[in-house]
Amino acid sequence: MSAYAELCAASNFSFLKGASHPEELAVTAAALGLDAIAVTDTNSVTGLVRAHTAAKQAGIRLVVGCRLELTDGPDLLTYPRDRAAYGRLTRLLTLGKRRAPKGECYMTLTDVIGSGHGLVIAAVAPRRYDPAFEGALQKLSQHFNDDLYLAVSYDYSGGNEARLNSLAALAGKHRITLLACNDVRYHSAERRPLLDVLTCIREGCTVHQAGRRLAANAERHLKSAAEMARLFAAMPDALAHGLEIVGKCRFNLDELRYDYPVDPVPKGSTPQAELVRLAWEGAKARYPDGIPDKVSAQVAHELDLIEELGFAPYFLTVHDIVRFAEERGILCQGRGSAANSAVCYCLRITAVDPARIDLLFERFVSAERGEPPDIDVDFENGRREEVIQYIYGKYGRERAGMTATVITYRAKSAIRETGKALGVTEDVILALQGAAWRRSWEDITDDHIREAGLDPREPAIRRLLALAGVLRGFPRHLSQHTGGMVMTKGRLDEMVPIANAAMDGRTVIEWDKDDLDALGILKVDILALGMLTCVQKAFGLLSRHHGRDVTLATIPAEDPAVYDMLCQGDSVGVFQVESRAQMSMLPRLKPRDFYDLVIEVAIVRPGPIQGDMVHPYLRRRDGKEAVDFPSKALEQVLGKTLGIPLFQEQAMKIAIVAAGFSPQEADALRRALATFRRFGDIHKFRERFIAGMLGNGYELDFSERCFKQIEGFADYGFPESHAASFALLVYVSAWLKRHYPAAFTCALLNSMPMGFYGPAQLVRDARDHGVEVRPVDINQSGWDCTLEPGLVPDAPAFRLGFRQVKGLKQADMERLAEARANGPFQGAHELQKRTGLSKAVLEKLARGDAFAGLGLTRRTALWAIRGLDDAPPPLFAAAGLDHRGLEPRVALPEMALGEQVADDYRALSLSLKSHPLALLRRDLELRGGVPCRDLMHLRQGADVRLAGLVTTRQRPGSAKGVVFVTLEDETAHANLIVWPDVFERFRRPVLGAQLLEVAGEVQKEGRVIHVVCKRLWDLTPWLRRLDAPETAPVTIRSRNFQ
Amino acid sequence: MNEMTHGVQDGLSEDGTVRRRVVSVWLPSFATDLCVRRWKAQPTPSPCGPRTPTDFTRAPLVSVAEENGHALLAAVNRAAEVAGLQPGLPLADARALVPDLRTAPADPEGERRALGRLTRWCDRYTPWTAVDPDSFGAGAGGLWLEVTGAAHLFGGEAGLLADLNARLAALGYAHRLGVGDTPGAAWAVARFQPPLHASIAVIPPDGAKAALEPLSVAALRLAPKTTEGLFRLGLRRIGQLERRPRGPLAARFGGALLDRLDQAFGRRAETIEPGRSPPDHQARIAFAEPVTHRSGIEAALERLIGTLCGQLATARVGARRVRLSGYRVDGGVAEITVGTGRAVREAAHLRRLFEQKLDHFDPGFGIDALVLAATVADPLAPAQTSLSSDGTAEALAFLIDRLGNRLGPDRVHRLAPAPRHPPEHAQGRISAAETAPAPANEEADGPVSPRPLQLLATPEPIEAVAPVPDRPPVMFTWRRRRHRVASADGPERIAPEWWLEDPAALFSGQVRLRDYYRVEDTEGRRFWLFRAGLYRPDRAPKWYMHGFFA
Repeated sequence: MSAYAELCAASNFSFLKGASHPEELAVTAAALGLDAIAVTDTNSVTGLVRAHTAAKQAGIRLVVGCRLELTDGPDLLTYPRDRAAYGRLTRLLTLGKRRAPKGECYMTLTDVIGSGHGLVIAAVAPRRYDPAFEGALQKLSQHFNDDLYLAVSYDYSGGNEARLNSLAALAGKHRITLLACNDVRYHSAERRPLLDVLTCIREGCTVHQAGRRLAANAERHLKSAAEMARLFAAMPDALAHGLEIVGKCRFNLDELRYDYPVDPVPKGSTPQAELVRLAWEGAKARYPDGIPDKVSAQVAHELDLIEELGFAPYFLTVHDIVRFAEERGILCQGRGSAANSAVCYCLRITAVDPARIDLLFERFVSAERGEPPDIDVDFENGRREEVIQYIYGKYGRERAGMTATVITYRAKSAIRETGKALGVTEDVILALQGAAWRRSWEDITDDHIREAGLDPREPAIRRLLALAGVLRGFPRHLSQHTGGMVMTKGRLDEMVPIANAAMDGRTVIEWDKDDLDALGILKVDILALGMLTCVQKAFGLLSRHHGRDVTLATIPAEDPAVYDMLCQGDSVGVFQVESRAQMSMLPRLKPRDFYDLVIEVAIVRPGPIQGDMVHPYLRRRDGKEAVDFPSKALEQVLGKTLGIPLFQEQAMKIAIVAAGFSPQEADALRRALATFRRFGDIHKFRERFIAGMLGNGYELDFSERCFKQIEGFADYGFPESHAASFALLVYVSAWLKRHYPAAFTCALLNSMPMGFYGPAQLVRDARDHGVEVRPVDINQSGWDCTLEPGLVPDAPAFRLGFRQVKGLKQADMERLAEARANGPFQGAHELQKRTGLSKAVLEKLARGDAFAGLGLTRRTALWAIRGLDDAPPPLFAAAGLDHRGLEPRVALPEMALGEQVADDYRALSLSLKSHPLALLRRDLELRGGVPCRDLMHLRQGADVRLAGLVTTRQRPGSAKGVVFVTLEDETAHANLIVWPDVFERFRRPVLGAQLLEVAGEVQKEGRVIHVVCKRLWDLTPWLRRLDAPETAPVTIRSRNFQ
Repeated sequence: MNEMTHGVQDGLSEDGTVRRRVVSVWLPSFATDLCVRRWKAQPTPSPCGPRTPTDFTRAPLVSVAEENGHALLAAVNRAAEVAGLQPGLPLADARALVPDLRTAPADPEGERRALGRLTRWCDRYTPWTAVDPDSFGAGAGGLWLEVTGAAHLFGGEAGLLADLNARLAALGYAHRLGVGDTPGAAWAVARFQPPLHASIAVIPPDGAKAALEPLSVAALRLAPKTTEGLFRLGLRRIGQLERRPRGPLAARFGGALLDRLDQAFGRRAETIEPGRSPPDHQARIAFAEPVTHRSGIEAALERLIGTLCGQLATARVGARRVRLSGYRVDGGVAEITVGTGRAVREAAHLRRLFEQKLDHFDPGFGIDALVLAATVADPLAPAQTSLSSDGTAEALAFLIDRLGNRLGPDRVHRLAPAPRHPPEHAQGRISAAETAPAPANEEADGPVSPRPLQLLATPEPIEAVAPVPDRPPVMFTWRRRRHRVASADGPERIAPEWWLEDPAALFSGQVRLRDYYRVEDTEGRRFWLFRAGLYRPDRAPKWYMHGFFA
């Protein structure tokens, strides 16, 4: 009975060199009955975790290994004997990657010899004899003795016997043992065409040009022990040596015990004791009037649980990051499963008062799942990098790194790359990409291909589609995760290689989020959130202009005026609930307390919408439907949400409580749905889930809806704990908007780009709320928007900043402000003289009408600036006459109001002078149009015709092709609904118009008004009526499909 | 000699006054019109192309260029423009607006070449034609025709315009023609004079002021920045500029603005440079009387070749491509071009090459000028009498040139190794005119196993006895003779090139492979045999003889 272990196999993480997923290699090796397999990717261990998980499931031993490609020597297969040797291997790879640009790895033979202690090494024999190879072999044999092998393979290239014999002689000469392997590139022979395609992508050629760069045959697949024994019949030892290596190298990825980094704790103390101390200290600070009993009980309970699970170092780690941010004045807030605990509140990781919300800690820190707790921290987006650099600084590059993200081939890129490799012409590729556009791969039918003008039976097309279908989902390269950071107690580079990122100052580990999950490694997501920037800026303005100092935690809670405002759907600028869908949900949900906001944040999401949970919830809330629970068990799970599952945790809990899943299974289900449905069998889960629920006496309809919801959650999981953290920011921003609209708008504009609306809408909303908005002015504005004393005491006016003018740079405007300190500017010439700013900059200021304060119109200012000298005159030049003073006066045509508004939109994206629609109103009335404000007075079902600037367009995935459009005129907003059939007929106006006119029917539900469109017209050319016809068109930017 | 030799300013109209007339041809959708022309010419329809005849003109069509990995529209036809598409729009957005959009890859080089060809085609009206560089881009194109003194051949200016208009329409190019006393004026009215649906816009002689003043300043061929600046100041029409003092305008917009203004009104001269950049080396003969006979042309050619070769020798170069152009009295151009495989400046060789082609040189109603130009030239050291070379290499090169020029350069071949795995395809034919490739580095690029000296055109079936599954044969029978194998090497496994196979078998892995063996029989003869397909217990293996080593 023969035995064999394949110790040389490249997966597709050897980018463009392997044609099978690591999982496929492991599963096939197990099916062939091999004793073990090593997935040896080139200079990478990225595929290892996947191979490890799959091998464990398939019941085959995975030998940890890596193929080193050296700059000065042969390829070496390396297998660490133990944990320590593995650490040296990853450090070696880190060394090679850190000295090379992103994606490369430079290592030398000397490097390997220097750090190879404990590694078993097999040198890969070259195709032809090479004296340099023999030299390298000799050098290696001096250091690795019995742990050095010569890897040989039978590649059917002819002359194999002779080649193997001479290699055996070479090995004998240097007393090295032979290792038989098959230098595997794919799990099965059928992948040869794909490997050829990958080779062509790598070489930048087509299969027709590739010639001998492609392999002559399909022999580089996994082979059975019997087949390998036959091929190596002449040298059975070479086969046995593989098993010998398997015996030597017992290291297993499960041994990578992860230890939380430990902050220095005071002598004699322990992390737990330190955490307890900090928590109670924090609690006292949070509740200066005494800790409520409920809270103190909860803190005590949570601390016990943390001790039991040994999570204290983790909480201390996060606490340290947050403490740093606080010291630097960087606003931040934690979210995630463990974040909304009383302990986190005390540690200042979140500002959600546990007294205000009732979240069960156990639900998030589950002992059963054995997973680390999950805390993400959001920071002001402009200052997140400081935090990241602090972490690098604190732990060192060898103990901290960003998480990787595996970028894979999508349908479009797979078609393009495969097409190029097959030598298919550009027009065919374009047509096929067209057929695949906005479709899932499985949905592409022969008809679609025919529609694209191609013959689906044509061999070239069939080949291309078949190969691109396999290539899809292949890893393409590694990128960095948006914010996941891994920190370790010991050396991180002894666990996983660390490489340079594309971005300066960043280093990235080679594993992605799923790999870390699989190995139980902690990651803290250091994320950026624009609203935190805005809130921080607003806090600053409050302090400066209103003398009021507040923090996230000290803003007066549960202010009825804030809820009144939200109930009106008056939420432009408010975090999370300003989108159109949220805006129309607010008056229906009528939030009256903090938990209502938590629900508000979570309910307008794909999960509840796909699960059809929204309407039942609203009906129950309105008392139109009795609140009952499908079972006693579910009453506990669903009690707070009136019997309707709205949060991700609830959906998972249903799987456990109602469908009889174990917590691990429930988690596996979520994962199977999340990871692109790649290797999971969704339908099996579905059957089990439905059967489980039916078995427990639930109704089929409810069961199916629950499963649908889980599917919806999988892609856009939104747990209660996240919603709670977000809800706090909803409340804070709503409070700012309600009480300090000028400061809030100012902060929003100074934090752009962010949120759902552009400056035009925000400014307009501020004016609607009584804020006095003043134009950009060379003698008044700063770079940022500012507050100025207003006409009414205590109601500051809001001055637009130079940042609002297109094309201006901050540094230039700061120079201007500096020069202005010596007194206001009198004119363009003097401005240039005093600031030294270029003509181009001054012209931009003129376009923004910033000279109006001096009584200069746009045109006179521009004319004057154009007439200035190119180089600004020397600052202390003789203050003689302006030499242009003598040139003839030139009269310029005056600007009509329409032209001014149009120019305002061009330079500032908004106008304070008038609204374009106001200027077109008469023409619109002639067509039977009404202002948007009139919608309020129209009855349900009435026909209406109106027009407006398009501010947003949306086509949510959950809405089955319905397009939502928001219009704005000088009076109000109008929300349009375009059903798919209407959309198909009026595609051009719906998608392309800046000024859109619509005829439709009024639909009212409470305070929510929609217009269901029947016909649409693109009136964009009308915008030119504001202006002369030859002028560059005014573009009004809308927010499309984001 | 006639007046076509030099200068275009001196064209005389019938009444004897100087009257310059210029045509500006605007081709607003040149790129996409070109795609349609190509599709029409194609025997097999392009997948992205039109599917019905009306598609040629009615369907939205765009050309697509890739920029930093993003597909952007490079040009749009009229239908696409009406549907709201513009150059620069991402293809994905365009598809959202027009789901069944026809697309073609953008080909700026091809467009440039096609525009050049169209310019030469316009030589039929006047030799003074040029590509208008200010119009190229975003899928548009423009041409200049200096028709001063040329219109009478077409029954006057109106006749010329009507003819040009009809022919461009027949070629499938959307166009507008502008005519005026200056290039600037012609350009302006071609693009801006209403009504825009009329395809010809004519400024009568001396009518520039009335015609141009109401037009947009964009009609002045200004840099986009200048146009925009003028718009911003409210100076939108040419007339507004004319009425403003020049000094301040120049101070703000540079002299170029006034130059353009003056060019349009004819206050400043502007000449049209003929399109093809003149070659570095050319010789020219003008005849007093138009020549129609071959003998006359041959005699002139003989002199031209002598002059040209002299120029080439002085410049130490040799010609690779030589063009003979005959300017015909009817406004057309007769042209023949000869190419050579290596740089040449030998008069006799060039003459032989032209002799073969002169039959195709149609003088029409007569030729009044002949130009011989070396359009491509390579460095060539002065000829040196070689001690070792007997001149065979040169003689062979001349022979290849002569054969190539007579039969067509693609019909004379030589063999070259091809880097492909199937032995039948391991060599290929390359054009003999190409320089022979450097001998392949067999050590690195060649097959690992040696190849036989002689390969059978078709493998011959043989009977063979071999241990299964893939050991070399021990005995075989070929052409009824039995050979015992003394020693053997193999197998060398060669799988077919899957991209040429039936896609149904794409993933079948091991189809139709061959296992090759080098064997030596007991008499010392060495053969190359193969077994077709993998061994299968249920089927007798098929063996073939494919070549011999000695």
